[in-house]
Formats: sequence, structure tokens, C-alpha cells
Amino acid sequence: MSRLLPMIILLCFAFPIEGLAKTVDETEIDERVREIAKHLRCTVCQTENIWESGAPLAHQMRDVVRERVTLGHSNEDILIYFHSRYGDYIMMEPPKHGFNWLIWLGPFLLLLGGGVLLAREIKGWVTRTPAPPTEVLPPLDEESRRRIEQELQP
Amino acid sequence: MIIEIGHFSVVIALVLSAFGIVSSFLALQTRNVDWVRVGRIALTLIFILLSIGMGSLIYSFLVRDFSVHYVAATSNSQLPLFYTVAAVWGGHEGSLLLWVFILSAFSTIAVWLHWRTQPAIMPYLIGMECLIIMGFLLLILFLSSPFDRLIPTPADGKDLNPLLQDPAMVMHPPMLYMGYVGFSIPFSFAMAALFSGRLGEEWIKVTQRWTIFAWLCLTTGILMGGYWAYYELGWGGYWGWDPVENASFMPWLVGTAFLHSVMVQEKRKMFKVWNLFLIIVTFSLSLIGTFLVRSGVLTSVHTFATDPERGLYILIFVATVIGIAFGALILRAHKLKSQVEMDSMVSRESVFLFNNLFFLVAAATVFLGTLYPLMVETWQGSKVTVGPPYYNTVFMPVALGLLFMMGVGPYIPWRKASQASIKKNFLVPLAVGLVSTTVLFALGIHSVFALAGTFVVGFAGAAIAIDFGKISALYSRRESSSLLKGAFSAFTSNQRRYSGILTHVGVLVLVVGIIASTVYQTEKVVSLKVGDEFVIDEYRMKLERIHEVRGKNWSAQEGVFEVYEGDHLLTKLRPQKRVYDASQTPTTESAIYAKNMGHIFLTMPDVSPEGVAVARGVINPLILWVWGGGGIMGLGVLLNIFRPRKKDE
Amino acid sequence: MTRTTQITILVVLLALLSLFYQGLWGDPRHIPPVLVGTQAPIFQGPDVESGEPLSSEQFKGKVILVNFWASWCQECKVEHEDLLRLHEEFKDHPEFVMLGINYQDEVPKARAYLKQYGSSFPHMRDVKGALAIDFGVYGVPETFVIDQQGVIRHKWIGPIVGDVYTNLTKNILTPLLKGTEPTT
Repeated sequence: MSRLLPMIILLCFAFPIEGLAKTVDETEIDERVREIAKHLRCTVCQTENIWESGAPLAHQMRDVVRERVTLGHSNEDILIYFHSRYGDYIMMEPPKHGFNWLIWLGPFLLLLGGGVLLAREIKGWVTRTPAPPTEVLPPLDEESRRRIEQELQP
Repeated sequence: MIIEIGHFSVVIALVLSAFGIVSSFLALQTRNVDWVRVGRIALTLIFILLSIGMGSLIYSFLVRDFSVHYVAATSNSQLPLFYTVAAVWGGHEGSLLLWVFILSAFSTIAVWLHWRTQPAIMPYLIGMECLIIMGFLLLILFLSSPFDRLIPTPADGKDLNPLLQDPAMVMHPPMLYMGYVGFSIPFSFAMAALFSGRLGEEWIKVTQRWTIFAWLCLTTGILMGGYWAYYELGWGGYWGWDPVENASFMPWLVGTAFLHSVMVQEKRKMFKVWNLFLIIVTFSLSLIGTFLVRSGVLTSVHTFATDPERGLYILIFVATVIGIAFGALILRAHKLKSQVEMDSMVSRESVFLFNNLFFLVAAATVFLGTLYPLMVETWQGSKVTVGPPYYNTVFMPVALGLLFMMGVGPYIPWRKASQASIKKNFLVPLAVGLVSTTVLFALGIHSVFALAGTFVVGFAGAAIAIDFGKISALYSRRESSSLLKGAFSAFTSNQRRYSGILTHVGVLVLVVGIIASTVYQTEKVVSLKVGDEFVIDEYRMKLERIHEVRGKNWSAQEGVFEVYEGDHLLTKLRPQKRVYDASQTPTTESAIYAKNMGHIFLTMPDVSPEGVAVARGVINPLILWVWGGGGIMGLGVLLNIFRPRKKDE
Repeated sequence: MTRTTQITILVVLLALLSLFYQGLWGDPRHIPPVLVGTQAPIFQGPDVESGEPLSSEQFKGKVILVNFWASWCQECKVEHEDLLRLHEEFKDHPEFVMLGINYQDEVPKARAYLKQYGSSFPHMRDVKGALAIDFGVYGVPETFVIDQQGVIRHKWIGPIVGDVYTNLTKNILTPLLKGTEPTT
């Protein structure tokens, strides 16, 4: 039985009988189309990929993707095909080369540089600040210490 | 006739705004209070006149006066009344008028509210607000007037973009603008402080509630926009890193940095220049956002009819305001040498500074990502796309850093944190974070984003819970009451602090929602006929029938899907494929069922003539936490705004 | 505030200002056409009016002007008269071929459009939109010039009117038909 069942399901797909209700599912092709489509930009929309977009061009692009997946092209090949037609613009993110490194690395460099500068500055302030006078105080019991701490917190 | 009254009122308002600037100058020159009084009257009149202008436009929409060009362009006779109001700000011209109307309302309120306590600030406040109002009124009257007549009068109008025919769109733009414009009040106070040389903590204390109110509006506006995108655009996502969204997110990020940084100045009288800088950047980003959205520099290909003249004017105006602000800051900053006293590297002060750094880098990331395509186009002559994958890689680490600091900051004392206190406060949270991450990893989740996010949420959540738990217990013991009552007393004992912490809790809830609904989302797209079904996660969806439905100004094909969990019928979902009559624009209307704080989200993007429907099912676990978290954040802010005032405030 | 900070702020602001200013005048039509200089794709489809199959192969060795259009496109109506004029100007040259490609359209509407605005050269139907994608088309109208060797030599997004018309005919088509290099 366990072997027969997939066969039956397959047969259902092969000879769809009018009027017979069936359970439909995504095929491997559907999943690959989605995966690829999410990497391609809908060229007539505001930063939307062709998977999410409702524009006719996006629809046609999805069809082209599907056709190529069915023909056996690899994901990579399909992306390269679209890139050859539309250039960098069609990819959802700027390719990591040349000038584009600016935005890929810029934020992290900013964080790093800013962090180092800030840490240095603070260190400078700390050394320039005179140490607070140390007073000898009687030890506090736990409860009052907690209360004081809490009052101090704004 | 009515629209001409509105038009005329706005023209008078323009004249008065110029007068307001002059009177402020005279007030400062002559030191005569009467000029300030006159300025106040001018500003109040501007508000009244712009109300008339706004009212006349709304009236023209309601009576469907299609002889008004703007009314005919964005509405028609079949548009439901509710959305007709949204249509008032559904186009370029009306949204600008709304912007300036809110601005006039806020500045009038600010002038009357602070008149008695801040007399020295008034001429600057009136002058600055009048300058911004004048800038916008010039733009409205000369380059994008909503009051123009259309000759000959068409029998019916075009239509409001169907995507905007939505309850959220009635409130989303006003909320967003209230946020942008709300920041203009602390901005004007800061300008006054710079020009007058009264550089104490005064302006920060006075504008604290304005800032937080503006922040609340902006946050609400952004979240509303996200919710609208979620169910209206039909792809099940709420944030697309679109330039328009980014334009609202940038001032939010820097505004949030400002909100935190002012606390240092209040407590420790430090970083005065820094705070001025932050509020100037915040408001500048609001203006730049308006420029980016309204000038068409960021529009896509094949929008042939961009009008560079309008864009050029907005640019000149925005550059003037920003130029004045930064010019004053640069020229005056040397007077602001505040004594910086730092006792230790590890202190609340320094955590605040690092918090600011992260917020600014986050804003810079969004800024760079938004403008990069423009830079490449103008400087290199080629085109690139900066889409969500970029932000997921670059923005997320910065955001996680911020969340981590959210767990640290409130529990590090001012001035100096001893090693013992650090150990005591953070050892357990750190353990909680690590354990929850390990558990998640053991459960088979290997997404770095999810794991890092869980660690940070666990850490920050535990830090908050432990601290508040301890204090609540202390209060309940002292008052010998229940823990709940103790928690209440603890909260009210320092409402300012704990309402802020509550907002942090909201952020954590929101982040959990974001992680769960992006990492654990399941999606399926299938083609099916009536009677067929498909399975997604543990749900079975059966297409029962497809029928025609008719709305007031649209007709639709509606698919009725029975949703089963096992054999139990949960609900029937009815996604639609609508076509709006006037514009013949198709839209997909999603159908949503909420379960376990998550959503079963269904759309039907297409139905073929043979009756084969394309159905798209998405399971979004915990997505309600996104907006629930937003709600908690809002509650925190409201409890902050309406807290009982202490003596020193 | 140190001098360096002041200068940094100024530089950043001025850079932004110049970026925005230049951005305003940027023409969205100038998309760097990645396909210019590469071999044109082979394409085929039914004739809009007759339904007979058409193929790029039958025009091999000629200069082909390919124009993408649709009946719903306003900009196409603007350029239509000029396209007819262009065809009139070059049609007697043995090496010149002009071909319209009907994009995202319905046959009856496309036929009615051609009937109303006139048609003197063949139009191919892009049945699934795949042909347009092969040419990297963003929308309509877009115009391509393919030389005798089958290489795409020129692309224009937007209507062929006024200066664009002069440029296309004087600097690109005429030299190509003479066998010399086009000037851009």
C-alpha cells in the first residue's frame, strides 16, 4: 500500500478527471520558482521582488522563470540570464564588488570607527575628571541599600 | 465658491506667515513685547485660516464638487464617504496642506501653552514656525494647489487609488505627519536656545513631552502603515524597506536617540551640543523625507511626468531650513562647552552614548541604502537596487546591538558601575539568554538571525523582569500587600522610569513577533478548482466555491475556503480578487484568521476563465505580537506623558 | 565642537545638496542598456494584423529598428506619427527593416489601434511577454536598433519625438545604413 499510494497520487496528476476533488500541493518547480523570484526585482515597481509584485511584468517574469526551471536550467543560470538582460538593477541587492562595498561595509566601518573614537573620548573625559572624594561610611543593611539604589535610578 | 474661500484663506495665511517672521525680528530688535503679541495673534490666525482652507477642501470632497481639480483627480461619486475623507490627503496637494495645517495647529498650541513660562523663547519659536509654514504655503499655493478649478467640469471624478481605500489610510498619514511636525516644536526650541544663548536644560525640560508625543505619533503612524501593507498589499509582509517607508523610519531612529540622550543632559548637564545636533538631524530628516517622497527623485523608471521644478523648490526650502539650523549650530557651538565629567567607562552615561552611536549608525544605514541607487545613478550612470536582503544583512546586526543595550542601559548606575553590581545585575540575564538560545538550537533552529535575536530578547527580558520583580517584592513587603499591588506601587513610585521600561517591554514583544513571523513563516501557492484542497502546516484549506460579490464601487470574485484543523472546521476565509469600477484597477483582498497569536493569511491573486484559482496561503506565527508590542510601546508612552508631575519638572 | 567636526558637517551637507540637485535633473529614461553592443536575441511571433508567423531570422543582415508598443500606452500615441514618418523616410533603403512589437496587449485592441493611427510596417505580437524580457524591456515605448551583424547598437526608452528623432535618424540609422560607425 505504502508504495501504491504515491503511484495513485501521481496518476491523479497525470490524468486529471473533471469534477473529482483532489488535494493539490506545490511541486518542486513551484518552490524553485518562488526561491528565484524572490531574488529578482520587479523593474516597474518600488523595490518589490517579482514574487510579491502584482504588476503584469512581474507576472510575465515569473512565467519566464517557470519556463526555464521546467527546461532544467539551474537557479544560478536563470539569475544570470535576467542579469544579462537588465543588469544589476534586476537583483534585489547590489552585487558585492567595486564601489558597492561602500554600502555593504560602510555601516560596520562607521560602527567600528565611531566606537573606537567614542571609547577614546570617554577615556579622555574619565582621566580628566577628578576622582570623587572617598568617604568612609558605615555599612548599610540590605534593605536600605536597595531602597537607596532604587531611588537613585531615575 | 466654498473652495475659493479656502483658497483665499490660505493666501492670507501666507501673508501672515511672512508677517510673523518680520514681527519676530522686530521683537528681537526693539525688545518690545507688543511685537511678540502681534506674532502670537498672527500664528493663531494662520491656524484658523488654514482650518478654513482644510475645511473648504473637505467640504468640496464631501459634496463631490468635481469642478475642483484635486477633488476630481482623487475621488468620484461612488467613493464611500469614509474613504472620501482619506482622499483629502490621498494625493500630493492635499497631503501637503494637511502637513502645514498640523504644523500650524501644533505651533499655535505650543505658543499658548508656553507663553507664560518661556517668554524669551517666543519670538524665536514664532519666527521659526512661521518660516516653515511659509515654506510649505508657497509650495502649496504656487506649485501644487489643491484649490484649482477644472474647466470644463467633468461629470464624475477619477478614483482614489484603490489601495488607499482602506480604514488604515484614513489615519495613517495624519499620524505620520503629526510625528514629523511634532518634532518641529523641540527643534524650534533648540533653535531658540542656540540663537538666544540660553543654553541650559530649560528647553529640554519644556519640550520633553512634545518630543515623546511626536515620537508616539510617528511610531503609531509607522506601525499603522505596516499593518496596512500587511493586509492590503497581499503578500503577507509588513515592512518592505521601500524608500517611502524608510523616509519615515530615519527620523524615528534619530528621534529615539534624542529621546534617550536628553536624559543625560537633564541628569548630568552634559552633551548639550550633542542634543542640539540630534534634534536638528531628526527634524532635518523629517524634511528630507518629505523632499524624497514628494520631489520624485526616488521614483521608479517609466514615471515620465516628474516635475523637477516642484522638486527644486522643495530642495531649496529644505536646504534653507537645514542650512540655518546647522549654520547656527556651527557658529554657536563654541559657546556651549559643557563641562564633561565622567567617572568611569562603565556607567549609564557611556551606555547612553553607545546607544546613540548605534541609533545613528542604524539611521545612516537606512539613509545610505535609500540614497545609494540615486548616488550610483548620478555619479556612475548605472542603476542598482537596494532591497530587503541588504537590510537583513546590514541593518539587523546593528538593531540587535541596540536591543542588547536596551537590556544593559537601565541597570547600570549613573557615574560608575562597580564590578560587583555588574555581576549581580547581568549574570542571570546572560544565563537566561544563553540557555534560551541553546534550547532553540537544540530544537533544530539554525538561523543566525533567530538565534542571536533570541539571545538578546532573553537577556534584555530577564534583566527587566529581575529588576522589576525585586522592586515589586520590596514594595509588597514594605506595604505588606500582594505582589501585584507591590508592582503597582513600584510602578507609580517612579512612573517616568517604569513607563519607559514598559515601552522597552513592548519593543521586546515586537521583536519576538518579527523573528517568529519571518523565520517561521510558511508559504504555499497552489492552483486549484472548486472542491480541491491544499495543506499548509497543520491546516487544510478547501475551496468550497467561487462567487461574484458586489461592493459599493467595486465588484469581486470571492473564493470561499473552508479551513480545517484535522477534521475540525476552524473558519471560512473569503479572499477576494476585486476590480474597482472607476479605475478598473484590480486588487487582491486578503482574508485573515487569527489563531494562537498568529495568522492564517489567504489571498486569491488570480482566477482563470476556466475557474482555476491561484491561492496563496501564508502561516505567520506570533504576528499579532508585532502590533501587540506596538500597543504596549504606545501604552508606555501614554503613561509617561500623563504621569503625575513631580515638583522639579 | 572642533574645527574638523564643523568641516565634516559642512562637507556632508554640501555633498547631499549636490546629490539631490543632480538627482532632480536625472532623466529616468537613461538606464544603462546592458544589451547595447551584444548580439540581439532571436525572436518570433505572430503578425498582429494577419496572424502569420514572423521571425527575426527573415530580416537577417539588415538594419532592424524594433519598437515596443501597446494600445494602452499614452506615450506610444505621442510617437506614433513620428514612427510612420521615420518608416517613410527610410523604407526605400534595401537594408532597412522596421518592426513593431505589441506588448502586454489584446489582439482586437491592438488591431483597432493600428487601424485608427495607421500602420505601414509589420507588427509582431509578444504573446507571453517573454520576448520583451529577452530584450530587457522595462515598459513601453522602447526602441532598439540592430545592425547588419545582428548586434544591438542603440536603445531608447520613451517616445521617438523631436531631438530624439533627429538623433536616431541622423546619428544612428543613416551611418549604419551607409556602413559607417554611428555617432552618439
